[in-house]
Amino acid sequence: MEKILLKNLDKPDAHKIENYIQYGGYKAFESALKLKPDNIIQMVKDSGLRGRGGAGFSTGLKWSFIPKDPTIAKYLCCNADEGEPGTFKDRGIIDNDPHLLIEGMAIACYAIGASNAYIYIRGEFAFGANRLDAAIKEAYAKGYLGKNIQGSGFNLNMYVHRGFGAYICGEETALLESIEGYRAQPRKKPPFPALAGLYGKPTVINNVETLSCIPAIIEKGPEWFSKIGPEKSPGPKIYCVSGHVKRPGLYELPMGTTARDLIYNHCGGMLTDKPLKAVIPGGVSAPMLTPKDLDTPLDFDSLAAKGSMLGSGAVVVMDESTCMVKTAYIVNRFFSHESCGKCTPCRDGTPWLTNVLRRIEHGEGKPGDVELLESLCTNIFGRTFCPLGDGAVMALRGALKNFREEFQYHIDHKRCMVSGR
Amino acid sequence: MVTVKINGKEITVEDNTLILDAARDAGYDIPTFCYQADLVGVGSCRMCLVEIEGQKKLQPSCVTPVLHGMSINTETQQVMSARSSMLEFLLANHAMDCPVCDKGGECELQDMVYKFGPHTGRHSEPKFKFHEKDYQLSPVIIKNSNRCVQCMKCVRVCREVVGANVLGALGRGDHQEPSSFFRHFLDCDQDGNCIEVCPVGCFMRLPYRYQARPWDLKGSDTICSYCGVGCRMVIEQRDGVVLRAKAQLGVGLNSETLCARGRFGFDFVNHPERLTTPLIRKSGRLEPATWEEAINTIVENVRSTNGAHIGGIASPRLTNEELYLFQKLIRGVLRSPNIDSTSRWEQNAVESYVAATGMNEGGVSVFDCLEADTVLVIGSHLSDENPVTDYIVRRISANRRMNLIIASPRAMKLDSSANTLLRHNPGTENAVLNSLALGVFAANADKLANNDSVKALKDSRIEDLLTLAGVKDSEINTIAQKLHASSTVSIIAGTEFLRFPEGTIGLAALKNILKSLGKKVLVMPTLDRANQRGAWEMGVHPNFGPGYSELREKGRGVDGMLLAAQNNQLDVLYVIGSDIASMYPEQELAVSALQKVKFLVVQDMFLTDTAKLAHVVLPGSSFGEKDGTFTNQEGRAQLIKKLLPTPGKAKKDIDIIRAIGEHFDRSFGPKNALLVLDEIRKEVPMYKDVNLLFNNRKNTENKLDNKASLVAAADSAALSIGEFKTKVERKTPDAPFQLVTGNHLFHSGKYSRMSRTLLGLVQGGEVEISEEDANSLGLKNGDRVKVRGRAYEATLTLRTKRGTKSGVAFIGENFDDAPIGKFFRRGDDIPRVGITKA
Ligand SMILES: Cc1cc2nc3c(=O)[nH]c(=O)nc-3n(C[C@H](O)[C@H](O)[C@H](O)COP(=O)(O)O)c2cc1C
Ligand code: SF4
Ligand code: SF4
Ligand code: SF4
Ligand code: FES
Repeated sequence: MEKILLKNLDKPDAHKIENYIQYGGYKAFESALKLKPDNIIQMVKDSGLRGRGGAGFSTGLKWSFIPKDPTIAKYLCCNADEGEPGTFKDRGIIDNDPHLLIEGMAIACYAIGASNAYIYIRGEFAFGANRLDAAIKEAYAKGYLGKNIQGSGFNLNMYVHRGFGAYICGEETALLESIEGYRAQPRKKPPFPALAGLYGKPTVINNVETLSCIPAIIEKGPEWFSKIGPEKSPGPKIYCVSGHVKRPGLYELPMGTTARDLIYNHCGGMLTDKPLKAVIPGGVSAPMLTPKDLDTPLDFDSLAAKGSMLGSGAVVVMDESTCMVKTAYIVNRFFSHESCGKCTPCRDGTPWLTNVLRRIEHGEGKPGDVELLESLCTNIFGRTFCPLGDGAVMALRGALKNFREEFQYHIDHKRCMVSGR
Repeated sequence: MVTVKINGKEITVEDNTLILDAARDAGYDIPTFCYQADLVGVGSCRMCLVEIEGQKKLQPSCVTPVLHGMSINTETQQVMSARSSMLEFLLANHAMDCPVCDKGGECELQDMVYKFGPHTGRHSEPKFKFHEKDYQLSPVIIKNSNRCVQCMKCVRVCREVVGANVLGALGRGDHQEPSSFFRHFLDCDQDGNCIEVCPVGCFMRLPYRYQARPWDLKGSDTICSYCGVGCRMVIEQRDGVVLRAKAQLGVGLNSETLCARGRFGFDFVNHPERLTTPLIRKSGRLEPATWEEAINTIVENVRSTNGAHIGGIASPRLTNEELYLFQKLIRGVLRSPNIDSTSRWEQNAVESYVAATGMNEGGVSVFDCLEADTVLVIGSHLSDENPVTDYIVRRISANRRMNLIIASPRAMKLDSSANTLLRHNPGTENAVLNSLALGVFAANADKLANNDSVKALKDSRIEDLLTLAGVKDSEINTIAQKLHASSTVSIIAGTEFLRFPEGTIGLAALKNILKSLGKKVLVMPTLDRANQRGAWEMGVHPNFGPGYSELREKGRGVDGMLLAAQNNQLDVLYVIGSDIASMYPEQELAVSALQKVKFLVVQDMFLTDTAKLAHVVLPGSSFGEKDGTFTNQEGRAQLIKKLLPTPGKAKKDIDIIRAIGEHFDRSFGPKNALLVLDEIRKEVPMYKDVNLLFNNRKNTENKLDNKASLVAAADSAALSIGEFKTKVERKTPDAPFQLVTGNHLFHSGKYSRMSRTLLGLVQGGEVEISEEDANSLGLKNGDRVKVRGRAYEATLTLRTKRGTKSGVAFIGENFDDAPIGKFFRRGDDIPRVGITKA
């Protein structure tokens, strides 16, 4: 497939604006400025683009919720928190091709009538934040940001907001709280950000990859875009592959590439001759797939049908040497450590799960622990304030469903079934 | 209106009603932790989850409004199991130290676990502990985070209601700890509302610590005896000692809030220095005596005295019943026209204030005031003087579109809620209001051509007014514009109008002009003594009788009485609960005059400076020892209820007044507070129909405003607004500051000085100036400074405040080492002082 999102990754110094322009950049923005904002929203709707941040909500539809009243200030926030373990796609774009994101954001702002945009970037991404700062400066200098852009009368300011080191900062409403200077904790919805978001004003929050799709949609048209990948979730998708494969890394492929194709063709197969044991298809909140599900297309609907999810597109491949108890423990420890503390079931439930898992992993499991885990999962799931707590449960349930006997073995024999230790 | 089904029962409720409220309406209670009617909903504790048919997940009923046709189940197996599972999670890291927890027995967590389970524990992992020992957050607050249920009500009440914003959460996840900034000692309002809202034993009262179990306490539902807000509270005692004051959610206009004075200032009741026996001066010394001796001595001295040479002063902290009877005694029995209730306000100033605020037109609810398009706060340092009014204004103004304008020389906490601030010179309320009147007139010249108030203003030049007030043209225009554009305007007018009565002229004029433009105008007075309004309405004032009725002859107020005493023309003075010797705004004069009174009777709880000069001292009662009513600043009559007997031989004030009266007139009475109230209802038509019942009824609908408790308009009142001119001492290079006074946030007159808890909150006298002035003097917050006036000098602690008008210094009227009365001289309303490093 022709690369769309990662097309400039191998080109030298694509992060510099002259080069970006030379490779064809900012043309889409220039032509967008000649269109009516509503037409752009319609184009994005028609393209079928769905958000790449995790939930897969239609981007065009999200934009269309923004009130048209020109007297109300509106905001665009780009979610560059990239907190889901295993995910490193946004960083690929930011570090190497920052202008692609800026261009996508500029078009989005024009479409929804926002004249201020924030990029909320994960605090650890110092390199990327500096890259973005420099790129934004260049864009101002070239008249792609600032007042009266390219003589269109459209004004836009763009800011980089460095994040505060918590996974929850990536949840869109917690992200807004964080920009406003508060503790990052999710807000109650409704009101949805489209009506009352940043500083109480209508706000669109989109992922980096989502926004980076926009220039291509403008340039090549929604029709073209919608023909890539499956009908219900079209477009290119960056898969972040890590774990026991020969060539881990970023792969831009049509949405809906199967796990098997991704692992055995694009990534060169398993790292050693140990066979594949499980694949996490969309970041650690996504329940794992087992070898029998390898032909599942990695897109929103197909994975949902299998009880898992595409999430951020982080594919973690594990071979037979992997202990699933340990995996479940580490993943769960991540969630309880990152629980923001707002709601009871996640705050007090996930650490409880972690404690039980730690015991089992350390050979101190007790009869009934698996049932206890399952019961706690029931008590957490669907009752939390935001999806973080649910994510923790989904991941654990996935492991319990497919590898229950490994847990039981740990408890009964006080040692690991895989390593024997 | 929408119709929904709750557990199969159909019910019709208003649009946007929360499921929680609808269910409660239908008779199904839903447990909650984080929900509180007065706070913005967060939906975080998940205790209130319910089932909505057709929705996969359980929904939080405390933040989800009903939609037409919804079918909601609140008691299914799934809901019940969600409840017990939330409690199980909350208990996972809970300290479980109920046996030593102050909250045990009235803990919401205990109660809920008892009700919903789980009754056996499954959690056997190590518990996370925030800390080993409880830690102190302030002189009155102690904290144990290991018991927290993370409802964040403490943080939210501090931010949304109190506006102090000093609490927040540390840490994340199960390490999240609501506390102060890194657990530092709090420099805050110390009102303990965080304690009140905490459902568990996390925030605790330090003075109450380990003192009692809730079931050991006996309580009485009463009214705070400090300021004029009239907060409802319950005071509780064990073995004759008052241990705690608490507010009740949904009861009284204050609902669950109080200020530091109300919550912690009750301990004067059990002060060891309470007077417990009558005293009679014998060969120069006050000696214990029997009641008989004391009353006989009084009667002997009074019997032969001409009424014109008798005076009576009764404190505005007495009940309406006591004040009414006192008034009957002085006017009816002793035939004296000389009666007053406060040593601080000049008698004509009071009459003008009553007239300008329209107190005779009946009560005005603060909640009604806050429904206006524009609310102007002027002459009132609400945040310190009427803290709970400050809370109410903050909470309501945050939730509706309105203009809140604050005009005051001093910055205050409520400023952050205002849309417009005006910093004018002290005592220039008249100039401010007149310039606003001119501004409104300019926009409506045609409609106002014949308005009397406008005519009276024609001579004023706006430039002069602006210079006098020290404000900018543009500031006045902005506010005038807002007044002009509003169809309803409320003015909250406080005690500065009594200190500087010139302002009442401007207040009356502006009110008149706005009204003649067809606007609805409400004026609410704010007062700093619990029953000041009641005292006036009971006729304890030289210019008017009960219900502001006209008198045949006006008497002398405190000023006049002291002057008469000075000229040896006052033979008998009967003072109840008023410490003139220390509160009169020219102390030297007051003391020397009191010394010249031939026969001084002082009835009080303590041997005050005034009592020390008396010939007979009578031990009276505190608010906790009697029944009666107070009328708050809004004109709301509210019941106070007895909790304790009076100490030793001390008596209820009403009984003492009656005992004296009966010596002159056998039928003097009525016999008790209840009967006096009946007589008040008959004789003072304003009180005929006031409804006292609401005060004791728990109101689950959180309706805090009962109009039936407001006094009605007076039948007729002959009140007029006097001529006044605020006088400011001339500025000199070494005395550049204008000195003003009022109440410190933690005190109310000198009365609160007998509360040891309140004394612990602020050590010694303070002088407050703006941060900018302090910087230019090379001074900083906390410095010891010399405050030097023409008449007096004191060494005090400097407090700086951002946003106070330059050139204004403030000293509270409450401190023994800063006797404000010594800085002042009658005639000069505003003295000048210099401030230098001590
Ligand atoms: C706990 C949590 C963490 C999240 N972290 C991220 C993140 O790091 N980056 C991201 O783009 N979206 C993240 N999301 C999803 C966002 O809330 C939001 O759905 C997304 O940014 C919307 O953008 P999109 O419509 O372009 O997908 C997270 C959601 C949750 C519940
Ligand atoms: S599920 Fe609750 S505690 Fe967990 S991150 Fe979301 S809001 Fe915070
Ligand atoms: S300290 Fe009390 S009020 Fe504050 S969050 Fe904890 S339980 Fe709630
Ligand atoms: S002093 Fe005033 S504001 Fe404070 S609790 Fe008492 S009545 Fe309420
Ligand atoms: S009471 Fe509803 S979530 Fe806490």
